[in-house]
Amino acid sequence: MNDGILVEGLRKVYRQKGTGVAVVAIEQLDFRVRRGEIVAIVGKTGCGKSTFLNILIGLEAPTEGRLEIGGKTPYGEFAHFRGKISAVFQQDRLLPWRTVLQNVTLGLEILGMAPDRQQATAERWLSRLGLERFLGAFPGELSGGMRQRAALARAFALNPELLIADEAFGHLDEVTAVAIRQEFLQLVRAEEKTAILVTHQIEEAIAVAGRVLIFGRPASLLAEVRPDDFSPQGRQRLREWIQQALNENRIVEPPPAA
Amino acid sequence: MSDPAIRVRSGAVEAVDAVRGGRLPKEALVSLAAFVVLWHLASMMFPPFMAPSWGRIWQSLVGLRWDFVPITVGRVLLALVISFGLGVLAAAAMYHWEAVERYCLPTVKLLMAVPVLCWIMFAVLWFKVREMRIAFILVVVCAPIFLVDLLDAMRGVSKELRDMVHSLRPTPKQFFAKLILPAILPAILTSWKINLSLSIRVVTMAELVGATSGIGYGLHIANELFSVADVFAWTLVLVLILMATQVAVTRIERRVLVWRD
Repeated sequence: MNDGILVEGLRKVYRQKGTGVAVVAIEQLDFRVRRGEIVAIVGKTGCGKSTFLNILIGLEAPTEGRLEIGGKTPYGEFAHFRGKISAVFQQDRLLPWRTVLQNVTLGLEILGMAPDRQQATAERWLSRLGLERFLGAFPGELSGGMRQRAALARAFALNPELLIADEAFGHLDEVTAVAIRQEFLQLVRAEEKTAILVTHQIEEAIAVAGRVLIFGRPASLLAEVRPDDFSPQGRQRLREWIQQALNENRIVEPPPAA
Repeated sequence: MSDPAIRVRSGAVEAVDAVRGGRLPKEALVSLAAFVVLWHLASMMFPPFMAPSWGRIWQSLVGLRWDFVPITVGRVLLALVISFGLGVLAAAAMYHWEAVERYCLPTVKLLMAVPVLCWIMFAVLWFKVREMRIAFILVVVCAPIFLVDLLDAMRGVSKELRDMVHSLRPTPKQFFAKLILPAILPAILTSWKINLSLSIRVVTMAELVGATSGIGYGLHIANELFSVADVFAWTLVLVLILMATQVAVTRIERRVLVWRD
């Protein structure tokens, strides 16, 4: 992770299972992410964001091009990235047969950490996220917000170098989403992690990220902007500009003045 | 006056609670009592070789070769353990390597279409050792059922959970132990219930023709002696064994699947 993330000439083409028709999910992606950076990716539903994340997480390989993290490919060197990448998904994806505590220790078990350290680490993170009274509860006994907090604890407990949030706050109600998003960002900043957030909510991307990458459909980099360079009024214009780019699937005019 | 829908629901909940509490619901007790009374009436109307009295059946029960019971139960359990092991291994292989499934599953499904009676005949022709015959019949009937049930359950584990666990980069063994196995546990227990019920019936048939011990053999002797009371007594024993095993699996289910409540 010392050299950050390098995405170069990335392309992904699927064959539809039923028809065998080729579908381009990622047209062409080229960008870099520095270590410790918080980057948001915005794009319309079905633009290939999740496919990109799958490649980043290491769940699938690209058709062409390369994606390297610290000089190694996450899909090629599977074991190398054990404990180094954590993902928080749109749905919490807690294992229903495990208690909250056991869900958080899952990644630590896979890492081979000693059981007493697993428990201490999981308890610390659950306590930090306000779930200390629910260690023995099953996911089915928790609210959506609590479950997503448990998923955050599972991701942070690994102490990964790269955190990925895939529409992780989108399905929660506004109040809960804002609270959990704030917790996520505080933790990312406090722990000096690299974070990539994928969202279709422009407001969220502008609010949280140091850099926003705007994806067209199929996935290609239409533009990238730094929200911190914009005043509050400028951010409103920026939001409208991003919305227009996504609607038109191209950049029709230069970005607004900061 | 209470809502009929609520009454129906509370009745169902009551029945489930009763079964969960280890008690029989009153409807089951009424039905059993009715059967006992009807059989008693039949025994008064028909000759003993057709419908023996409860007293005669009790005498048969007391005089049964009870040492046959653990023999039959032992055969069933041993064969089920072997079948389960084979079923899990084959399902895991098919889940892991699609080619194995493509080549082997059609044959397995073909074997499942073979009637039990044919397997019994093959076993008698192929094996000299009686225990081998019975074990073969049970395994060849039960293992494919375990295999198909477990493979279906493995394929049913959601992609979301598989991706989440994969993102943590487990070894294949960890992936199986931490996700697949616990995820298919409900299906494993259901498959055990189905196979217990099936194997009790199959073992009886296998022992009927291919053994000199066991409940099936006991039934064979009772049949030779034209003793309906003995046949009835053995049938009662079989039903009780089946119910006991089902209760045992249900209790295990309640214990290990507590998260589903």
